[in-house]
Amino acid sequence: MKNDPRLDWISEYVQGRADAEVTARLEQALREDPEFRALFLDYLSVDGALSAHAAYRPLPEADSSLGRAAHRQPSRPLPTPVWKGLAWAASIAVAGVIAWSAARERSPFARVHGSAGTDLNAGMPVRSERYCFEKGSVEFVTSKGARVVVEAPAEVRFESAECLRVFRGKVAADVPEGARGFTVLTPAGGAVDLGTRFGVDVPESGSPEVHVFEGEVIAQAKSATQKRSLRTGEATVFKSGVSESREIRSASFIQHDEVPELAAGLAAGQRAKSEAKLRSLRADPALVAALDFEEGEAFAGVYRMAQGRWPGSKAPEFVNQGDHLKVSAGEGREFTQLTLAAWVRIDRLGEPFQSLYHTDGWGPSSPGQVHWMITKATTMRLALYGNTQAPSSIDSVSPVLPERGRWVHLATVYDSSVGRMRFYLNGRFDNETRSAVSWPAKLGQAQIGNWNRHDRKLSGRVDELILLGRAMSDAEVWELFEAGNPYR
Amino acid sequence: MNAPGEMKHQDFLRLFMACEPALRGFVRSLVPTLADSDDVMQEVAIVLWQKFGEYETAEDFRRWAFGVAKWKVLSWQRDRGRDRHVFGVETTELLAAESELASGRFELQREALRICLEKLREPERQLVDSAYGPESRIDQLASQIGMTAMALYKKLHRIRMLLVECTRRAILTKGAS
Repeated sequence: MKNDPRLDWISEYVQGRADAEVTARLEQALREDPEFRALFLDYLSVDGALSAHAAYRPLPEADSSLGRAAHRQPSRPLPTPVWKGLAWAASIAVAGVIAWSAARERSPFARVHGSAGTDLNAGMPVRSERYCFEKGSVEFVTSKGARVVVEAPAEVRFESAECLRVFRGKVAADVPEGARGFTVLTPAGGAVDLGTRFGVDVPESGSPEVHVFEGEVIAQAKSATQKRSLRTGEATVFKSGVSESREIRSASFIQHDEVPELAAGLAAGQRAKSEAKLRSLRADPALVAALDFEEGEAFAGVYRMAQGRWPGSKAPEFVNQGDHLKVSAGEGREFTQLTLAAWVRIDRLGEPFQSLYHTDGWGPSSPGQVHWMITKATTMRLALYGNTQAPSSIDSVSPVLPERGRWVHLATVYDSSVGRMRFYLNGRFDNETRSAVSWPAKLGQAQIGNWNRHDRKLSGRVDELILLGRAMSDAEVWELFEAGNPYR
Repeated sequence: MNAPGEMKHQDFLRLFMACEPALRGFVRSLVPTLADSDDVMQEVAIVLWQKFGEYETAEDFRRWAFGVAKWKVLSWQRDRGRDRHVFGVETTELLAAESELASGRFELQREALRICLEKLREPERQLVDSAYGPESRIDQLASQIGMTAMALYKKLHRIRMLLVECTRRAILTKGAS
């Protein structure tokens, strides 16, 4: 049989290179010779099996070839024992599954719906490639209609239209009825959506978390036998093989309606405007500190570094009880006037206070020490030690935190010479309060995200903190907001 | 307790699993390029699942599945195979009938293939990996490994023949044991 010229016809046919004459000869031989027909079927069956198997073998879990820049990584053949063990066994055992899945393999699992600061274009089909993002955020819509936003730094891969594997990063899913059962897998456990919105955070170091914004999710730690049902407002952390309850952090996640606004902000050149504004502030002789956390000084404390308002920028993120960041500015000086401003992305919590900026020296020996915070009512408060104000009159009026996570700009302008405080939300004046006794502000050693004497935990990110030793006008605060606004 | 939908899916998988190797071989035998053959096979799987509700349990699933596969192959030949050289209807019927009859054997072949692949020498196994990898192109692969495309086609043909012979021996041995 080895020297049978008909084998060459099979070879050409398999390669799709058989011309009309070869095809006709092959067909005739197939019809005349049952033995040759059996060989032909065996040969083509082997060829089909090799192809089917190659298409569905899994990618290696850890792939050191992943670069640091955002890129797409197509599925590739494994280096060696691809035909051995599990991969092949699985392909035999689930041949039906494979073949059924095959029906969907050629169709994309999802498409890129929008992106802010990544190199993925809207409409791009997504299958089982592994995506690595070091900056930006991207929204995928699965073929079943689930909307999934991934924020950098992140590495993810769709395993199917119903399943996303997250190696690291933040993912928010909005799952309509038709996509129920959408699953997010993490290195430590998985979350199955029963409708409708949830987030998964897989930090670089630390334990993965699942947060349910609305609806119900079944969460299961990898080595746990019990599944756990999480409902609206509940969250869990996969720790040491089990899932433990934790406080929800919904503001941590960029949701699908935010991505187009971030993209529009970038397109409008907001990042350059923000950087120019920061440069001009740094030239202001009254500036005490302008912390953008981008480079230079490393701040002491316990916090995670997450993405700021701009793709690839940095912002400290406060996640756990006791997280904080230490800053030191304006030590030993007194400020008759002071402006505090920050871009924040913070959860609405039931905590009494969330610390934006708390000086350490608060106490009777140092009147004028500054505590800037968000209250339980989500209003903004600036307290100075020794000032005489009724607690009800010292806060901003409007809630400063949106229902859903968003970057917001907070500012407070203090003038001790006239006993006045003015509060601003997103550049707009909100409220003014007066005090009979008002001390000049004293700064120095301080914490963002907490206070050393009492736990005033902040849950979220602080992107840019400005301390200016003069009172900004309404117009200046508006300009500061306008220039730094990541949305359009 | 399983949900009705889940039960239905499991039933489908069980039946489909049993004849998938033969179906795939049959489709492959009538569609001359791998990519097209995979596409047709996927369409077959979709139709079988979508119409599984209409499938009468009394009917032989295998027969029904081959009927769908045959119809899909003929549709492909009609729609996209015009510019290609394909077999006529009679040969299609002949190959379908024999594939269907030999379904059990193709299942055994699939099992034997795992062992036979392991018996290949490492360079040959790697070559199979690369040649059948997603989006693999023979001309590019040939230039990567310093061969002509023709030489690579011949080498792959020899490897496939080795695998056919090996799986045939394995099936015979299993049948005798």
